[in-house]
Amino acid sequence: MTVVKTVDLVKDYRLNGIAVNALRGVSLSFESGEFAAVAGPSGSGKSTFLHLVGCLDEPTSGTIEIEGTSVAARTRKDLALLRRRSIGFIFQAYNLIPVLTAQENVALPLTLLGTDPWDAKKLAARALAEVGLGDLGKRRPKEMSGGQQQRVAIARALVKKPALILADEPTANLDSKTGKEILEIMLQLNKSEGTTFIFSTHDKMVMDYARRLILLKDGTVDSESVK
Amino acid sequence: MKNTVFRDMAAMAFRNLSRHRVKTIITTAAVAVSVALYIFMDSWLLGINLESRRNIVSYEIGAAKIQTPAYFDKKDEQPMYENFGDWESIAEALDKAGYASAPRFVFSGTLYSRAGTAPMVFNAVDAERESRVLRYPGYLEAGRFPTSGKQETAVGTLAAEKLRVGIPRRIARTEFENDLLAAGTTEEERAFIAGLYQPAMSQRKAAKLFSGTASNTKDTDTLVLKKDVAPSERDRLWNLLAATGRMDVRISTVIDIKAAPETIRKEKFENDLLPSLSDAGREAVSGAYTLNGDTGEYRLATTDQRAIDAALAVMLDADYAGAIRHVNQLIDAVVVGVINSPNPKTNANVAYLPIDALQDESGLMLGGRVTELLVRAADAKDTKLPDRRESAESIDTALRTNGVDLSGRGLAVRGWIDYVADYIAASAQDNISSRVMIIFLFVLSFIGIANTMLMAILERTKETGMLRALGMTDGQLVLVYVLEAGMIGAIGSMVGIVIGCAINIPMVAYGIDYSGLSEELSGDYGYRVVAYFRSAWNPIIIGVSGIVATILAAATAIPPTLRALKMPVTDSLRFE
Repeated sequence: MTVVKTVDLVKDYRLNGIAVNALRGVSLSFESGEFAAVAGPSGSGKSTFLHLVGCLDEPTSGTIEIEGTSVAARTRKDLALLRRRSIGFIFQAYNLIPVLTAQENVALPLTLLGTDPWDAKKLAARALAEVGLGDLGKRRPKEMSGGQQQRVAIARALVKKPALILADEPTANLDSKTGKEILEIMLQLNKSEGTTFIFSTHDKMVMDYARRLILLKDGTVDSESVK
Repeated sequence: MKNTVFRDMAAMAFRNLSRHRVKTIITTAAVAVSVALYIFMDSWLLGINLESRRNIVSYEIGAAKIQTPAYFDKKDEQPMYENFGDWESIAEALDKAGYASAPRFVFSGTLYSRAGTAPMVFNAVDAERESRVLRYPGYLEAGRFPTSGKQETAVGTLAAEKLRVGIPRRIARTEFENDLLAAGTTEEERAFIAGLYQPAMSQRKAAKLFSGTASNTKDTDTLVLKKDVAPSERDRLWNLLAATGRMDVRISTVIDIKAAPETIRKEKFENDLLPSLSDAGREAVSGAYTLNGDTGEYRLATTDQRAIDAALAVMLDADYAGAIRHVNQLIDAVVVGVINSPNPKTNANVAYLPIDALQDESGLMLGGRVTELLVRAADAKDTKLPDRRESAESIDTALRTNGVDLSGRGLAVRGWIDYVADYIAASAQDNISSRVMIIFLFVLSFIGIANTMLMAILERTKETGMLRALGMTDGQLVLVYVLEAGMIGAIGSMVGIVIGCAINIPMVAYGIDYSGLSEELSGDYGYRVVAYFRSAWNPIIIGVSGIVATILAAATAIPPTLRALKMPVTDSLRFE
């Protein structure tokens, strides 16, 4: 089943008064259960691509379909609900809420979905256990290492069992050992849960882990390989 | 399900308060101070107003007054010529309808004592009826209320002090020796007088400590009347002082009588009076007066009383000063009491004397006429303000039912509030200035909250982007921030209410002593409270101030949140 499909995706914007053509007609599709990386040098358009696919931004032209449904002409609220239900995000800087515990951070997407608090608590604890942090649920982000925080972020993205997880440079702030551990966890979850992962990265290790590698250059698909 | 989302949003908002504890505490404290001050100020104003209103009704006016409309229009001048007779029939009708009433003849003049003079307002009253309507006759600092039929008077404490009549509460040592001690004709009497006074030092120290008003260091030779002086001792001292003539006074006043003038100068008649009249008026006056060529004056030429009355009425309508005849009158009287009631107006330059002692030529030639009739429900309670039954309309209707048509007699009844413009003005001004001050304080504290929220939302731009990425809608984000600011407002309000109520407890029970101010302004400062300005509980305002502060605080989060939501999610996520 096709989880994401983009056709002739174009994104232009102005940065400090200069016109930037971030994407120039990217057509890609991702099937359910893929573990794919979109790589390329800085300015190649990989983050822009992830943002568009994650419905965080609107394309200048072209179409995006998530789970077979076009996201064009949807309201802000509809897009928020789509993200809430179908898409998980993992950010380079973890972006955990500092005043919430690890477990509460993980339970947050479930809270937004209106899950019963007791169930949300249980599911969050299970998700934390899956990323190896079963004992650290009560810790606040500042009491955890970078790797632990990124694991919490993975658990948060995964807990609602979305069709798609978008990870923007997930290992960029981590040392190689921790980065490898994080990638192993994501790979395991991809295999066990069947969740589609799309990374944006310029980390060689992430590219090595990805089963499908898409190289972007100057806003277009330069090459594509599948292992 | 929505309830759980709201609960979790609220929990998150509450946790957010702990991010910058110091800032949160300062902002909360600002709200608390604003709310506490508002509660304090409102309760205080309410307390003063309630007490003032009660004191106006119980000690000064009653529920309503019956007067001629012309008297009401010129009431500040105390126009004694605007009087009316046969008040007894009105009083009788009022009695039947369940109202107490008290006749008064009010006039102004000067009171001379051995030691000084003072401009005064004189109230000629029927002591027995006066006591049914007003309570001040029971508030005598010394002496007694004047006896019916005698040329006696009771004066307010301030007038007594100014005129040096009555028993002085404070007195300079030299004056004490010359005036008071000298009243003793024997050693024993002098020792008795000396024993009633003590040096003022200790009181001055206390006054300095508590009010900061007694700072006159030259006052070291002042004596004060001891607080534990027995009534019998006061009476004895009063009698000793009265024997020296200290209580003898003379009232100087001008009796104003409506009367058609016998003569009017030609120029005045033709240039002033006639042009101010209507055609009919001119006819009435011209018919009554003829020009005397020898004297150059117009003389009242008719003996027809109806023609004279018609001409007089026309002249009075035109406010022609010549239609009021002035007769100087001096009345000797003895001060028999000093009034000190909770209403400063009764204690100022006011004198009370029996109305029946002023009826003949040795008085004011009243001939049974009065300037006003005070009215209060016979069963009215002092603690309650007049209700609908005591309104001017109800009294008028009750009188009609009992056969008295006030308007037919050229009279009108007006409620007490119509007579206290000075109080209304003071109260309104205080209300406005106090509330403006508090609103200013509120604005300052809400600028504080707005700033706190602006900084908090700006600082959490990236986090806001993440929450939007997770699927939080704009409405939910607004809710989180509004709840956060609202919690600052709610906690601040609760603390403010607790502080405000804690301040109010002693303020309601004891109040603040403003007797210094009252004396300083001769009781003429609008409010009718003599010494203690007490607060009164106002539960609705206490609740409303807390709710309003919370809502306003919550609202301060809306503009910065909406601003943050205008930023694209991707920009929010990149924000550093």
